[in-house]
Amino acid sequence: MIVAISSTGTSLESKVDPRFGRCPFFIIYNTDDDSFEHVENQARQAMGGAGIQTGQMIAGRGVKAVITGNVGPNAFRVLAAAGVKVYSGVSDQVSDAVQKLKAGELQGTSAPDVSSHFGTGGGGGNN
Amino acid sequence: MKQITVISGKGGTGKTTVTSNFVKMAEDHIAVDCDVDAANLHILLDPKKISEEDFVGGPIAVLTGECINCGRCEEECRFEAISNSRSEIIIDPIRCEGCGVCIYVCPEDVLELKSEKQGTNFVSRTEFCTLVHARLIPGAENSGLLITRIRNKAEDIANEKDIKLIIIDGAPGIGCPVISSLNGVDATLIVTEPTLSAISDFKKVYEVAKIFDIKVFVCINKYDLNQINTREIEDFCQNNDIELIGKIPYDDEVSIFLSQKKFVIDSRESKAGEAIRQMWENIKGYLYSE
Amino acid sequence: MIISVASGKGGTGKTTVACNMALSVGYCQFMDYDVEAPNSSFFLKPDIKHIHKVTIKQPYFLRGTGADFSECASFCNYNAVAVVGDDVIFFPELCHGCGGCLLVGPEGAVRENDVVVGEVRNGVASPSIDYYMGDLKPGSMRTISIQGDMDKSLNRDELVIIDCPPGTSCSMVFSVKDCDYCILVTEPTPYGLNDLKLSIEVLESMDKPFGVIINRDGIGDDEVEKFCKNSGIKILAMIPNKREIAEYYSRGDSLIEYDSSWKSRFEEIVKEIEKDIRK
Repeated sequence: MIVAISSTGTSLESKVDPRFGRCPFFIIYNTDDDSFEHVENQARQAMGGAGIQTGQMIAGRGVKAVITGNVGPNAFRVLAAAGVKVYSGVSDQVSDAVQKLKAGELQGTSAPDVSSHFGTGGGGGNN
Repeated sequence: MKQITVISGKGGTGKTTVTSNFVKMAEDHIAVDCDVDAANLHILLDPKKISEEDFVGGPIAVLTGECINCGRCEEECRFEAISNSRSEIIIDPIRCEGCGVCIYVCPEDVLELKSEKQGTNFVSRTEFCTLVHARLIPGAENSGLLITRIRNKAEDIANEKDIKLIIIDGAPGIGCPVISSLNGVDATLIVTEPTLSAISDFKKVYEVAKIFDIKVFVCINKYDLNQINTREIEDFCQNNDIELIGKIPYDDEVSIFLSQKKFVIDSRESKAGEAIRQMWENIKGYLYSE
Repeated sequence: MIISVASGKGGTGKTTVACNMALSVGYCQFMDYDVEAPNSSFFLKPDIKHIHKVTIKQPYFLRGTGADFSECASFCNYNAVAVVGDDVIFFPELCHGCGGCLLVGPEGAVRENDVVVGEVRNGVASPSIDYYMGDLKPGSMRTISIQGDMDKSLNRDELVIIDCPPGTSCSMVFSVKDCDYCILVTEPTPYGLNDLKLSIEVLESMDKPFGVIINRDGIGDDEVEKFCKNSGIKILAMIPNKREIAEYYSRGDSLIEYDSSWKSRFEEIVKEIEKDIRK
């Protein structure tokens, strides 16, 4: 399974970054063969809707689960629509977080952690 | 880790005065100056630069080839940024918003979106904490984008170093710089004054703060300038569940202190200094709580 | 003649200068371009006759038609449209109203409606001021749309006074771009001086003639005055720092009511500016 972990750095020793939409990197980890790569999160620089863009980027990589600190409502909506499972509230080192996931010690999240970010507009304009 | 942005609606009510004195009293913190087109925090904090980075802003449309004067771009541009397209096309960089519509409709492919350096952002050391700040090239656009950049940077440093508090000096107004300064913070402190102008702007910026569903604190600067207006602000706060953390008396000495690059909280005599010290006592419990 | 009254730093006294100048000459067009935080109405007390809403066109998406909106999502430079699976999500606060969605999206499946971003109020202020004020809706970022709307009412055949927003970036640039002369209002402190220099950079890059008014003279030092003198910048006036003036301001009472000699002083300033422009 491909898992994306929001990360402060590019290695497994990096800390899990508390921000999903605005973290600097993601570690994309394959739990089947323990291979991994890091990817820069370009979406973080967007003035609004970073979570949306990041969510789309992650979903587009065949990621099945996300490990992070906090997920805002925009990102949560995008990930949910893409069927990506969210494990938030995590603050370890990336490698420890992955081990916990493999051991079934992480609890899935069913709602966004943080309140309104700008651009949450209620999705107005959809008719 | 908590983040608090100091805003005002109306300019000149004392944001930077309050922010800089808070920065002196706080611990385990980072300061961010988000008033990027008229940054003033550095004047008092005397930063020593650690690193800097170019800020390349959002793109603007430019002509890169031979225009056939079909007029399509001018027709489709919603921002009136293109004129004279039937003779010698003019693209107004002030009005252009970099949407890309003209690029899309140009039959000759001679329009392109080009980004340029619009400013610089800095990470600096001060006597009290790290300061993240920026300089926007005067006249440049995208201050909202630059603010996003420096806030990301501040959060990166805070995560790395396990910092407990980010104090953000916001911009005046209610538009995109303010919105970028409020996005994702835990609380805001609105610094206002008892004048008709400031009250009107306070209510508008409060509407913006409500959109973010963040905790709102208020302080009234120069409160004894007009007791009727101060009462109006106090009533508004009470009716709207806004916590009033302090009232600073009118004191011309404050400006003199600022001009001498001194912190008014260091003065034993200044009543304004005492009020700001008390405000910090009132708010720091919240700021350092989990 | 269009005179813009601007300042890098907020709260230096732009509105005080602009309004008192208008009250002094008596016959002019007054435009409050500080649409995020307009304050001139407290001092000019206009009788508003018209209010019109300023709108931008924003898309809406006809879902359930099987249409694919991913072109709209990838075209948008503001992250206002996202497509995830079969769902299209639109974020109106981020949308600039560029019309791109209509152009690139599936034929007939994207429509537009008018969304209010603020309003412009017009009326008459005593004695004979043709008054305009813009007011941005809180939560909207379309400051420029409101100012652009007000541009259409600019009457260059008259004296026009524009009260500008603070700062040195796009909304200020928009407010000075059409002026024949800009008055920069500042305070005599290091902050006032710092921001004055930034404003001057903007005006010089736009080739706009300008002069300075120092407000709250006495609260800081004489560095601004020295700077202006050394740079050959004309100081049009110096308004003293007096608590009583601040009290008048807090009530919406003008400087002229505090001290009637300012009426002729502002009239002189306008005449001086007229002369300077002709040179």
